[in-house]
Parts: sequence; structure tokens; C-alpha cells
Amino acid sequence: MRVLAIEDDESIAHGLCMALRREGWAVDVAPSVAAAWSALCAEPFDMVLLDLGLADGDGAEVLRRLRQAPANGLPDAATPVLIMTARDQIASRISGLDLGADDYLTKPFDVGELAARMRALRRRAAGRAQPTLSFGEYQIDPAARTVSRAGQAVDLSSREFDVLMVLMEARPRVLSRQQIETSLYSWDRLLGSNAIEVHIHRLRKKLGDGVVQTMRGVGYFVPVEAAA
Amino acid sequence: MWRPSLLRHLLAWSLGTVLLVWATFVLIGFYTGAQEADEVTDGHLASVASLMLTQRLQGVSVPPDAAALGGRLELKAHDYQQSLSVVEWSADGRLLVRIGEAPLASFNQAEGFETVMIGTPPTPWRVFSRWDRPDQQRKITVLLSVAERDELAYDIAAQVAMPGLWLLPVVALVLTLAVRRGLRPMLDLSQQVERLEIKRNVSLRGPPHQEFKPVVSSINTLIERYNAALDRERALASEVAHELRTPLASLSLHAASLRGNPTELERTQALQRIEQDAVRAGNVLTQLLSLARASRAELAGAAQPTDLVQLARSVAAEYGQAAHASGHTLALEAVPTCSLNAHPLLLEIALRNLIDNALAHTPRGTAVQVKVSDEPPTIEVCDNGQVSGEVSGQGSGHPQVAASSAKALGLGLGHQVVGRVALVHNGRFDILQSADGSSTCYKLILGRIH
Repeated sequence: MRVLAIEDDESIAHGLCMALRREGWAVDVAPSVAAAWSALCAEPFDMVLLDLGLADGDGAEVLRRLRQAPANGLPDAATPVLIMTARDQIASRISGLDLGADDYLTKPFDVGELAARMRALRRRAAGRAQPTLSFGEYQIDPAARTVSRAGQAVDLSSREFDVLMVLMEARPRVLSRQQIETSLYSWDRLLGSNAIEVHIHRLRKKLGDGVVQTMRGVGYFVPVEAAA
Repeated sequence: MWRPSLLRHLLAWSLGTVLLVWATFVLIGFYTGAQEADEVTDGHLASVASLMLTQRLQGVSVPPDAAALGGRLELKAHDYQQSLSVVEWSADGRLLVRIGEAPLASFNQAEGFETVMIGTPPTPWRVFSRWDRPDQQRKITVLLSVAERDELAYDIAAQVAMPGLWLLPVVALVLTLAVRRGLRPMLDLSQQVERLEIKRNVSLRGPPHQEFKPVVSSINTLIERYNAALDRERALASEVAHELRTPLASLSLHAASLRGNPTELERTQALQRIEQDAVRAGNVLTQLLSLARASRAELAGAAQPTDLVQLARSVAAEYGQAAHASGHTLALEAVPTCSLNAHPLLLEIALRNLIDNALAHTPRGTAVQVKVSDEPPTIEVCDNGQVSGEVSGQGSGHPQVAASSAKALGLGLGHQVVGRVALVHNGRFDILQSADGSSTCYKLILGRIH
């Protein structure tokens, strides 16, 4: 999952990056309204973490602009937004949620809670209610970051799990290599030219050829299972 | 619980006064009525005597008795008709005529009016006697029972006082209604004050009467002051929440990052951050303590003669090394002396705050200048460095600066402290920035305190 953390406190931003990257998510940081808007206009993000007190204005301005953005383009007006702020007044929560935020968390917060809320927002955005994903006899648990086949754990590396999650959440849509890359890597991460192909190859070796399919010249996808 | 009521109080006083006046009038009326009745009766006695002297009564048989006739209904022509008795004597005291039921009075009765006890048993009679002047051949005495006379007098007096009896309840009722109606503006004001929700910051309108103007004006001033104080406290709470929660959030994040399997570099970075955030949180607590001290000093009111120049010199001297280490130049420019009544501890806290902020939030090479002037006593801390990035304070209205190091706090809370110190000294705290933003002056202007 590609996350944009809009946070002006450098220490908190650093801590967020460390914590969320451990969850396997790609995190970019924007310290101001202007930087955040530029980032949202340049790249698609799966989630926005928004601080309200920013260096050049109120974070609510980013949220307002995002929700008013035209459909089918960048920035994506439907991007889930979680406000994380020191403002704990009820009025502030109400105005933030009414402005279009999907969730509101008051600082200081527990990293585990933040991650759980982000997973819940992601589920909601994907239209799922179940906390786990299933494909055939495979069960994928995003919270525990595990994959099991008929009850037996399948050993995947962190990056292989991330690639599988991106494809599972997008299925049956076909994702290009570039789309997978932007979902997994932040701006500051160097990426080998064939890194995605290598991860797909390894996934096929561990899960079998039926899970991740290739559409030559276009990209990769996980097909929808045929109805029983 | 029973409480005194202004309405009851007013009614009691006004009705009590009316009752007293009414009772006085009724009493005066009664006694005047009785007195006038007596006068009228005496007049009747004299009139009858005069009438009798002009008549020759000798030879008139005694019966019929006028008194007995007076008791007969067909002869009773008026409520005030009285039973008079008449006695006529000759010059030598021989009884010539006696009419009426009165006992025989003495011939030696002096001329004029008199009340005498005659009869068996003796009863009081009002008597009028006179001679037929000038030859004194006949003497006429007219008598009337005092009991009958008094009965008439009381009857007349009662008739005079009667209207007052039924007028009293009417006056009481009308007075009650008038007092209630007259007090309505005050009752309206009372209800408005009772309904007043001071936290909604809505002014009291009050009745238009000029007598209420001072009260309404005072209440509205209090409402404004209360809400201004409430806003200041909210802004302060918001500022404190922001300043304290930010390092705590960072602490929590970096502590959590140590739980996983961090690389050596990540571990070192996380520990550094934790250390910095702990210092930041500590600085916030120091500011909070300063605020608490400011409030306590204000309550204690222990101002003392203070030399502002000496205080500034002493504080600035302590920052020499810190300024050197952070690459700033620190200087003091002051008048020879500036004495005032002040809280030196609070002024020291405020000045430290301003110098701390100047050193923490401006780049290396910035010149920081502490200025002390009098008329009015003022402390200024000016710098020619540009802050790392201004942000709007969260509800405080003060400019804030993004934290750039462990030492650097957001300025909002620090400014709240300085602002509070200014208030304690009946002064004000201003932030002045040059048009091009190249220099900033933080000005603490002090007023007079005792």
C-alpha cells in the first residue's frame, strides 16, 4: 500500500515511516500543504495520513481540495484520508470527518492501532468486510502478513507478500509493472529494473502458476475464481 | 427554602402604610363624627329651649308623653329623631310644665349646657337650661339621655367611617396589581439573567429603562471578560495539547520501532529521536510550570522593586556560551537604569523564553539583541534571522515555528507564557516583524503594579 503522510514534525514523520514500512507499506512524507498537493497530483496513493497543523496552512485545506478533485484523474478524490492530529476537541473531530475524512486519530497514538485503522480503511475502500483474503485454498491475513495453503503456512518474503497483496486487492484488474512499483515503493527507495519480475517469479514458485497470471505486453493479475 | 421576595417586601410596606393612613383617617372620622353629633344635639337642646320660651306652656296637660309618642312607629319620622324632655319652672321654682320621660332635674341647675347624673338609679343626661330674659319669670330646662345622644353620635360616626371599610380591600387589591405591574421590568430582567447562558457569549439585552442600564452594562462587561478569559484558556489548552502531544506521539512511534527487528542504523536513529523527544516534552513541562508560577505569583501579588536592566544583564550573561555554541551573536542594549515594581522571577522566565526561542528558531549567524528601555518599561528581544517556517498557531493566534531540534519548541506555548507574564504586570506582549520579514522583535511592555 502506498501511503502519503502529510506531517510537518520531522520526528513524527520519521517515526511513521519506520513503523509503516515495517508493515510493508511504502510511505512518502509531505511537510506542508503545498508539498502534499504536489504529491497527490503527481502520484496515486492508497491512503493519506493527514496532520492538521502544517507549516503553511491548515491540513484541512488538503482534504477539502482532494474531495473536490474531478473524478478519473489525479489526485484521486476517493483516496481514504485518516486525520492524525493533536487537536482533540469534539468540534475539531466533527469538522474533520464532515469535511470528508474517513477516520480521525488523536496524537499520541499507538502504532498498532494506526495500522489496524489503515487496514480497515483499505478494506472499506476495496469493498470487503472480511479481514482476510482468500483465493482457492489460499488464505491471506494482511494484519499478520501471512499466507497459508489449506492451513499450512507458506513462507513468503516481505516484498513477495506486498506484491501478492497489491494484486489480490486489485483483482481481477490487470496491473502493469509500473503500477505495482508505484504501489510498493516510495520516492526514496531505489528499485532494480526487474525487481517486480523477480518477485512474481518467486511467488509462482511458492504458490503455483494458477495464482498470478501474466497478460503479455500489459502486466499481471489474479483471476477471479470460477463459481463453484 | 423560603427566600425574601422584593414583591412581598414592597407589598408589605405599601399595604402597611395604606393601612396605617386608613386607620388614622377612620379614627379621626369617627371622633369627628361623634363630636359633631354632640354639637348637633346640643344645638337641638338650645333650639327647643328657645322655642319653648316663646310659647306659654302653663296649663298644658302633661300627657301625652313625647317620649312615649316617639316610640310609636307612626310618629317616628326620622332615624335621628330623639326623645327630648322639657321642664318649665316659675321664677320661684314652682314646676309649671314637665314633658318627656326624663327624671326631674334640679331647679338650681345653672344656665347653659351640662351633663348631670339624675334619676334612680342615676343615669347621665345632657341638660340645657335658660331663663326668659330679662325679667326671669320662667326657666326652661331641656334634657336628653346621654345614652341616646351617644347612640346617635356613634351612628353618625360609623356612617362617616363606613366608606373607608370597604375602600381598604379595594385599595389593597389595586395597589397589589400596581406594584406587580410596576415591578415587571425588574422581573423581566431577573428572568433574563436567570436564563443567561454565559458560555454562549450572548449579551444581555435587558429592559430599556435607564435605571437598569448600569446593571445590564456591568453584566455584559462581565460576560465579555468571562468569554475572553475562556477563549484564552481554550487557546492555551489547545497549545499545550499540541506542544505536548507532538513529542509524545513521536516518542511512541520510535519506541514502537524498537520492538521489531531494526537495523543498527535504525536503532541508533530511533534512540536519538526518543532522547530528543523526551527533551522536547520536558521543555513543554517547564513552560507549563512557568505558566503555573505566573498564575501563582499573580495571586500572591508579591511584587517588589526590580531593576530591569540588571535583570536583563544577568539573564543575557547566562546565555553567552549557549549563543556562542549555536553560532549566534547575543548583545544587550539598555538604558542606564529602569526600576519598577515587578515580579522578577516571572520577568526572568519571560526573558529566558524569548532568548531561548531566538536562539532555537533562527539560523546560525543571526544577531540576537536584548533591549531594555523605560517610559514605559520594556524588554525587547530582536533578531535578524529568518525563522525556519511560520505556521499558524492552533487556535492561539500566535505565529509558530516548526520544531527543528530537540531544544526547539513551537513558539505558541512560550508566547503564552510571556503573554501571561505581561498580563500579570498589567502590560502587553507584541510581536513586530519588519516588512520584508528579515527581522522580528518580541516586545514585552510592562505596566504599573503595586
